[in-house]
Amino acid sequence: MKPFDFQAMDPTRYVFLTGKGGVGKTSTASNLALTLANRGKHILLVSTDPASNLQDVFEMELDETPRLVTGTTLEIANFDPEQAAKQYMERMVGPYRGVLPDVAIQSMEEQLSGACTVEIAAFDQFTELLTSKVARERYDHVIFDTAPTGHTLRLLTLPSAWDEFLETNTTGASCLGPLAGLTDKQVQYKQAVETLTDANETTLLLVARPEKSTLVEAARAATELRAIGIERMQLVINGVVESSEGTDRYTKRFIERQQQALDDLPDGVVDLETFTLPYAYENLVGISALQRFVSREPVAISDARYDTSRYESVDQLVDELEADGPSVIMTMGKGGVGKTTLASLLAVALHERGHAVHLTTTDPAAHVALTIGADVSETFTVDAIDPKAEIEKYRTDVFREAGDLNEEQRMMIEEDLRSPCTEEIAVFRAFADQVAKAKDRFVVIDTAPTGHTLLLLDATESYHRELERSTGVVPEAVRTLLPKLRDPKQTHVIITTLPEATPVYEAERLTADLQRAEIQPFAWVVNQSFTPLDVTSKLLVAKVASETTWLERVSNNPRPTILSWQEQLPVGYSALSQLIKEEVR
Amino acid sequence: MKLEVFEPAMCCPTGLCGPSIDPELTRVATIHYVLQQRGFDVSRYNLASEPNRFVQNTIVQAEIMNGLDVLPMTLVNGKVVKRGAYLTNEEMAELTGLPIAAFAKQDGEKPKVRISLKK
Repeated sequence: MKPFDFQAMDPTRYVFLTGKGGVGKTSTASNLALTLANRGKHILLVSTDPASNLQDVFEMELDETPRLVTGTTLEIANFDPEQAAKQYMERMVGPYRGVLPDVAIQSMEEQLSGACTVEIAAFDQFTELLTSKVARERYDHVIFDTAPTGHTLRLLTLPSAWDEFLETNTTGASCLGPLAGLTDKQVQYKQAVETLTDANETTLLLVARPEKSTLVEAARAATELRAIGIERMQLVINGVVESSEGTDRYTKRFIERQQQALDDLPDGVVDLETFTLPYAYENLVGISALQRFVSREPVAISDARYDTSRYESVDQLVDELEADGPSVIMTMGKGGVGKTTLASLLAVALHERGHAVHLTTTDPAAHVALTIGADVSETFTVDAIDPKAEIEKYRTDVFREAGDLNEEQRMMIEEDLRSPCTEEIAVFRAFADQVAKAKDRFVVIDTAPTGHTLLLLDATESYHRELERSTGVVPEAVRTLLPKLRDPKQTHVIITTLPEATPVYEAERLTADLQRAEIQPFAWVVNQSFTPLDVTSKLLVAKVASETTWLERVSNNPRPTILSWQEQLPVGYSALSQLIKEEVR
Repeated sequence: MKLEVFEPAMCCPTGLCGPSIDPELTRVATIHYVLQQRGFDVSRYNLASEPNRFVQNTIVQAEIMNGLDVLPMTLVNGKVVKRGAYLTNEEMAELTGLPIAAFAKQDGEKPKVRISLKK
């Protein structure tokens, strides 16, 4: 393990960053890009995250056209797959406006606004840049600040998955259908896979914090990416604090916890070349802040502290949650903001008050089972939505519903089940089943990171419309889903965030998207705050000061609730139950 | 003989990408596969992916002007033979002259067991 030296970096042409949301992928990518540009290199920094915050870091409005950062040789762009899907749809539908009847146009638009199209559009954009000769000539390095890991994995595994798909697709029955002239793209997709797996061309930086969950996530990603042939990987651990930073109770514990995580690197990453980056004493927003961080300049520290009297405690929040009787409670937010802990905490709190509770997760990278363990009792059940298991379940369902099949029929269906859309569909169905359980008990769902969540809700929306004319067998759980999610008595959405820039911006975007789907958040919970604690070290005083802006900003939302930073991560039922008692005001 | 089926906007021909499994789409997908294997000129056009086919065919374009209820619509040699539903296995057998068993479940390319008494 050695300090990450931006100045000494001599990276491959393509660099990808991946890691759980909030670990500092964007800051690290931005710092790297800016440092290389400072050396006179021509750099393109691209975000492929549907919920990117690159524009916040550079304080620029961004779209898919690269824009020059003033006074540098750095260009930045934001690939928004949802936007790309819309453009793609317009290319497909536009020429037929006024030619085909409106009802036909609407019907085409509906079909092309699904998850399939977003997936295809994202993939297409991504490979186009990776194989572009123009980009190769223009830029010395292209840095991809990719989406949270679940999405990244999909994006990166797509080339080989689709590559195989194209080769073996013999019946022409597939979700790739919407992409006209797909076979023409086969060369491009193949080349993209080759570039990705070429250690001389591509480096993958796995970004984590000195925290167990983000390291576990990085290890999982490393294992999966190695499986698809990506060889050149490095681990970057962000926010490492020197042990000389302070000796008071919280600081000591903070450093200890970091050290434990660093000493106990999970299997998938333990062999990787590992770099550390120091803790940033200010939010890395704006170029001057990035420059200060790279050159390790000291930062002036304020002793501001936010007055949290407008905030509720978790205990008060639980009072309000139980008032309407059994409901669906969804903790939503970007990965790494503590959705799992909060979901587990609320589930335990409701159970302690005598309610029957079911706790589950739709986050492919979640650790509910890890936090609580197995089922506690008949009135407290725990499970997870595992995409792989769900696809298998869906597959079984499909073949059961289809009845007796001959060999040809079976082949045909197998082809479609291999399509990338199947995971979305399968996970969505499982999600609907979980939501439907909320009849006689509370169902607490720890949802996936934002990008994925949006796709899920998007799917909900188009499913809802599609159901009206579907002739197939519609599961009851799916039919009742959207009305249930929209009913504030039946569903409580809890926006989860941290008192930091990225998670708050992120939560605001998520809220806007939910509102478009006519879903109103019930409460906002700020997790892991140092503000309620009595801190003295420079490190934590700086942290408390940096929280003021974000706590103030969040306080304007419904039921702002604060949860203080925990000396011990609450793992297991009794630890969570203890935490509830401490959080009573 | 030229057989064309104009279908509503769909994500994929088996309908697996939809909210549920529609056995009718599976049946149609299989029939077309069987016909193609036997050298018939059969095509399916999905409104979402091949709208140009709907525009190029003046009969189809005129048919859908008053609504999409006419889909799926089957044309044989350019003439409409069925609107609002797919051809049944019986209709398909009559049209193609193939035995109905060719379209039925449990048929298909199952390897036939040949028993030979000779050594």
